[in-house]
Amino acid sequence: MNKLTKSLSSFVVPLISILLAFLVGMIIMVCMGKNPADALYFLGFGAFGNAANFGTTLSKATPLIFTSLCACFAYRCGVFNLGGEGQFIMGSVAACYVALRSGITGVPAMILCLAAGMAAGGVWGLVPGVLKITRGQNEMIISIMLNYVATLFMGVVYTNWLRDASVPQTEAVPNETKLPRVLTGMRFTYALVIAIVVGLLIYYFLFWTSGGFKLRAVGINMTASRFNGFPVKRYILTSFIVSGAIAGLGGAAELLGTQFRLINGFGAGYGFDGVAMALIGQLHPIATMVVAVFFAALRTGSMTMQAGTGVPTSVSDIIQALVIVFTVAGMALTKLPQFEQLRYRLRSRKGGNAA
Amino acid sequence: MRMEHISKRFGDFYANKDVSLDVRKGEVHTLLGENGAGKSTLMNILIGLYQPTEGKIFLKGREVRIESPSQAVKLGIGMVHQHFMLVEAMTVFDNIVLGDKNHKGIFIDKEARKREILALSEKYGLDVQPDRLITEISVGEQQRVEILKALYHGAELLILDEPSAALTDIEVEGLFEIMNKLISEGKSIIFISHKMREVLRISDRITILRAGEVVTTVNRGEYDGQGLANLMIGRELSASQYEKKDSQAETVIELRGAEFNKESKHNGLNGVNLSVRKGEIVGIAGVDGNGQTQLAQLVTGVIRPDQGEVSLKNSKVAVFDPDNFIREGVTHVPEDRNLQGLIGDMTIADNLVLRTTDKAEFSSGGGLFLKKGRIRNYARQMAKKYDIRCTSVEQDVRSLSGGNQQKVILARELEAGPDLLVAAHPTRGLDIGATRFVHDEMIQARDSGVGILLISADFDEILEMSDRILVIFEGQIMGEYSGKNPPIEEISLAMTGK
Repeated sequence: MNKLTKSLSSFVVPLISILLAFLVGMIIMVCMGKNPADALYFLGFGAFGNAANFGTTLSKATPLIFTSLCACFAYRCGVFNLGGEGQFIMGSVAACYVALRSGITGVPAMILCLAAGMAAGGVWGLVPGVLKITRGQNEMIISIMLNYVATLFMGVVYTNWLRDASVPQTEAVPNETKLPRVLTGMRFTYALVIAIVVGLLIYYFLFWTSGGFKLRAVGINMTASRFNGFPVKRYILTSFIVSGAIAGLGGAAELLGTQFRLINGFGAGYGFDGVAMALIGQLHPIATMVVAVFFAALRTGSMTMQAGTGVPTSVSDIIQALVIVFTVAGMALTKLPQFEQLRYRLRSRKGGNAA
Repeated sequence: MRMEHISKRFGDFYANKDVSLDVRKGEVHTLLGENGAGKSTLMNILIGLYQPTEGKIFLKGREVRIESPSQAVKLGIGMVHQHFMLVEAMTVFDNIVLGDKNHKGIFIDKEARKREILALSEKYGLDVQPDRLITEISVGEQQRVEILKALYHGAELLILDEPSAALTDIEVEGLFEIMNKLISEGKSIIFISHKMREVLRISDRITILRAGEVVTTVNRGEYDGQGLANLMIGRELSASQYEKKDSQAETVIELRGAEFNKESKHNGLNGVNLSVRKGEIVGIAGVDGNGQTQLAQLVTGVIRPDQGEVSLKNSKVAVFDPDNFIREGVTHVPEDRNLQGLIGDMTIADNLVLRTTDKAEFSSGGGLFLKKGRIRNYARQMAKKYDIRCTSVEQDVRSLSGGNQQKVILARELEAGPDLLVAAHPTRGLDIGATRFVHDEMIQARDSGVGILLISADFDEILEMSDRILVIFEGQIMGEYSGKNPPIEEISLAMTGK
């Protein structure tokens, strides 16, 4: 397979999956006695229909972009960071602490908060990384477990140390420290700009630098990388730290840009959403960002759909879930030898250039 | 048991051709042959893993078709594989009754089964402890469990595939006692081994296979070890196409008393001394699995020796790390090219520049920005120079044939300008054309002053290429021979441990 057909075919699987998922979603709508065309129209309108709606979509996409890039980066080095959620939360906790307790406000505070978030996320990613390379512990289990630790730790923070009077939530970050919106009338903030910059940086690192090249090599074949003299363990640890830092930065940005305070349920689900989106985006940072926006659109649009046609938002959840299921199944399918044979046969029947 | 005119063809290749073998009741019948002589294929046919392309199998005079391993078990054929097939987390008892279907209902009458097993164990002196976990018992005992398992499932004919491979000398004695007891009880044994000493001691008859065909079947005592080795190797020295050199140049690598995991005969090294000079090819001959893997990894820094020293260009190595060896000018054509050599899902170009992307030639700022155009051009040059047949250098290296994959590795390793090239089984699985190409490149590298350590289980390759030949057996170097007019018979005997 040459490069062009390879990147084409990696688009085909998610695309077919999305179409199939919508097809099933529409069948469900028909069974509910609703008009699927109307529902889809409202879904699209709610997500992209006007500047305000599109702004909401982008705002919702921002944290997903961060966690999906977090998953993407670790996967590229061949390790599974399922702890995006914990790293995201730790990042927001650190940022919240700095915002409320440092006494600084304004742009310096923003920078400090984001840096603290990155550091906290990085440390949270370091733990499974260190345990993996020194003790051979399974990084997936450790990083999942650390999600719970982070969630509970955040609970301690908003019920004790930074509690807002008698309400189980933290005080809101000062107005001067909130990330401003980029355009008036659209809800997304500079957090989105940061996310896009991070995504582009990762793309540049992975595909245009020697370090990223080697990191990918380690991710595909650790043994061969070791035989070729790459410091495999160092790459693994670094990828964990960077991956955690990305999620932590996302947590800080989400806090400063959208949520402003820690509260029960903050960040819940973002980690695993990110993993799914990275997989659908075929671990390509830019594709991953597009997928994150797509999912955010489904979530934003489903509200309008429910209001406009009475189709519940859970139908949108079903579609989202099916996209994931179909994509993963599709990717597994294309790896089957039978599939290769089938493709080969189809190609040679076309009188093709297979030989 | 009698197999008549068995042939097995894979594509155009005959793994077995017109093989006839008969095993009598109460005898130990040895199969002797080099790697790839067709022993395993023949046994896989017997236990129902493969179907023969032609030929018939008779058991006790009755023709049978063996379509699956479970059917083989039913017919009383049991195999003890070289690598044991035991569930490690289960007890000895559990492993033995595993797959046993002759009980009623869904429960197993454990006490009765255990009594049966102990009685069997007693009868053949197998001495197993049914309640121990597999992980807790020694390798020798694991093997006895395998034998007991086969007997428990009613085996009349036992196939022992290199049974002494993992055992200590004392355990081998025990194994022979058990084998003697088994045949005195009327069981039959097919014994597969490379070790001449054992073959001569235990066999009643010996069938020698070579290149998929039976050379002959002889009785014990008809031939001595040398005679058997000659039959097994069965070749005359054909003149090498390459000129042999006697290099006096400086030494690039020297091993003194190097040991690694020396208890293990098949995955270890024991007191290895060897050296390679610039401009010579040192061939390591030996049957697969006598420490070659460890030797290759040791001289490339993948593993560190337990004892002894390694010197590169006369300075002792302190840090065993592939990167360190690479910087000292050691390159490696590893034995498993897909696992150890190539990044399969990356392109040919990527694999060619795998270690050199930091160089100014391929990136600016020491790796900060890859010059993809330069990399592509370089890859195209290499594809031409090393005759890598591909539609584009942007093709995934996985999609290439084995020969072309090997050329990619060879290009990368030779273009690095090495002082020492370690080539482990460099032509395994390659067709004649690709083999010839790899050999020519290696000779050319030698003539330009590269020292080459060639590790190969292909004796012809060793004879063809080597300026000096060392024989490895059970992790030890058995002897050193000149590559000019090598004493084939002596070397082939050394390969079997005599």
